[in-house]
Amino acid sequence: MLAIIKKELKNYFLSPIGYVFVGLFMLVSSIFFYIFLFAQQTVQYSILFYYTSELLTFTVALLTMGMFAGERKNGTETLLFTSSRSITGIVIGKFLAALIVIIVTEIVSLLYYAILCIFAGGITDVPQTITVLIGFILLAMSYISFGGFISSLTENPIVAGIITIVLLLASWFLPDLLEIFKLLSPIEMFQSFPNGVISITDTVGLLSQTLLFTLLTITILQRRKNIK
Amino acid sequence: MELGKTTTMNMITGFIESTKGSIEINGYNISKKSKKAKREIGYMPETTPLYNELTPKEFVTYMAELKGISRKVKKEEVQKVLKEVNIEEVQNKLIRNLSRGYKQRVSLAGALIGNPKVLILDEPTVGLDPKQVIQIRNLIKSLGKDHTIILSSHILSEISQICEKVIIINKGNLVAIDTPENLEKTVKEEHSLLVTVEDPEGKINDVVKGINNVQEIKLIKELSDGTKQYSLISKNDTDIRKEIFEVFAKSGITIFELKRSETTLEEAFIDLIDKQKPEKENEKEKIKQEKSKDKPKQEKKENKSSKKQKGGDK
Repeated sequence: MLAIIKKELKNYFLSPIGYVFVGLFMLVSSIFFYIFLFAQQTVQYSILFYYTSELLTFTVALLTMGMFAGERKNGTETLLFTSSRSITGIVIGKFLAALIVIIVTEIVSLLYYAILCIFAGGITDVPQTITVLIGFILLAMSYISFGGFISSLTENPIVAGIITIVLLLASWFLPDLLEIFKLLSPIEMFQSFPNGVISITDTVGLLSQTLLFTLLTITILQRRKNIK
Repeated sequence: MELGKTTTMNMITGFIESTKGSIEINGYNISKKSKKAKREIGYMPETTPLYNELTPKEFVTYMAELKGISRKVKKEEVQKVLKEVNIEEVQNKLIRNLSRGYKQRVSLAGALIGNPKVLILDEPTVGLDPKQVIQIRNLIKSLGKDHTIILSSHILSEISQICEKVIIINKGNLVAIDTPENLEKTVKEEHSLLVTVEDPEGKINDVVKGINNVQEIKLIKELSDGTKQYSLISKNDTDIRKEIFEVFAKSGITIFELKRSETTLEEAFIDLIDKQKPEKENEKEKIKQEKSKDKPKQEKKENKSSKKQKGGDK
């Protein structure tokens, strides 16, 4: 699995994908930081993640679209699936590599927290900051597993990326139409974390979604092996 | 079950599951003990898939990690393989900037890492220029000393040069398994000679009639320099070359070339495929005949049932 993680990280940062993701995230975060924190003269770091979580809906596809679709398009999936690594190991390896990129971005964005602490004259809002960081990681896990699943369904990374963005966007709006979708929407589940609340229901919900889509991805890849 | 070469190779390597039967690599079943079985195999796919953003060294190192080679020996193994396929000088260049020949070698290096006992190479010389083809062939030959190599190719001259055993698959059916020499022998017209002569008076047929051991003479082609090429088949095991030479010389027929006719693997392949066709056609006819026998019975049955239905309707 470590080999897959290393290779995927190399892939992210030897190509523009990783830099575009981190750069775009930091750029938009800076704008949000100015508009919602600096201009409002508030030192509540968790507010920033309220908005960057929405940004993640658009940017996560950059990390996941080529996960399996790219390998299939280039024919390199032959190398992966004829190696002695298991499909589960490959899927989890790719998932963890994408998660590491998001965690790195999150760590970089702690810079804003440091700035806020300077303004506040000391370390501020620690519990809320920790909960929002945990919530953001859980949301990212759910999004990555979903994006990876979509990527396993097609051999065109662009198509995978577009479908991922469209369906994640739909998960924003569908709860407005039908109440039941509130229980399925990852962004809805995330809403309690910036308020400093770790909801068991939402945590279990996000983790279940991660597990479900990871298992579905493994099943799809395994099934393709059987019916090629 | 109709399978192609690539599908068969994909099943052997565990890329896809077989629907029937079992595949064992050095005693390990690819479905049940896939991890161990896959370690015994090095696979070079037809399309030579590579990660273009990596260097050959990084690619081979990644393949070593995928194969679970321990850290202690990994560096050494990678360097050994890079040297073996002769890509040391380009090991730090990006794969995307390498020529097709080098890419083929990098792919081969990926297959070789971990010293697998079985190497599976799918069309290893496709798309290479003649010089690169010769280099890769020589490399495969040298690798054959230490590994069992399963090679798939459409280029039969390449196979007869490299392989010790040939399996011919046509439309998913196994046509033959034998050495190239034996396959060539199966279609070789025994005791056949090729003779190119200058015969301005056109008396070769009459002259040949006078030689007891010649069974048949056939004109193969007329050449632009006025000479003609014939095929001569002798009656028994006797070597008629000396007799032909002497008789033709006495009769004023000048021999430009005299040699035993040789069958290539291509000819053997075409002959084997052609032999298979009538068998298949016979099978199809049999099935047709059986169906036509069954048809009147079915029609009768249908008539009966429709009559019954009509009766019921009444």
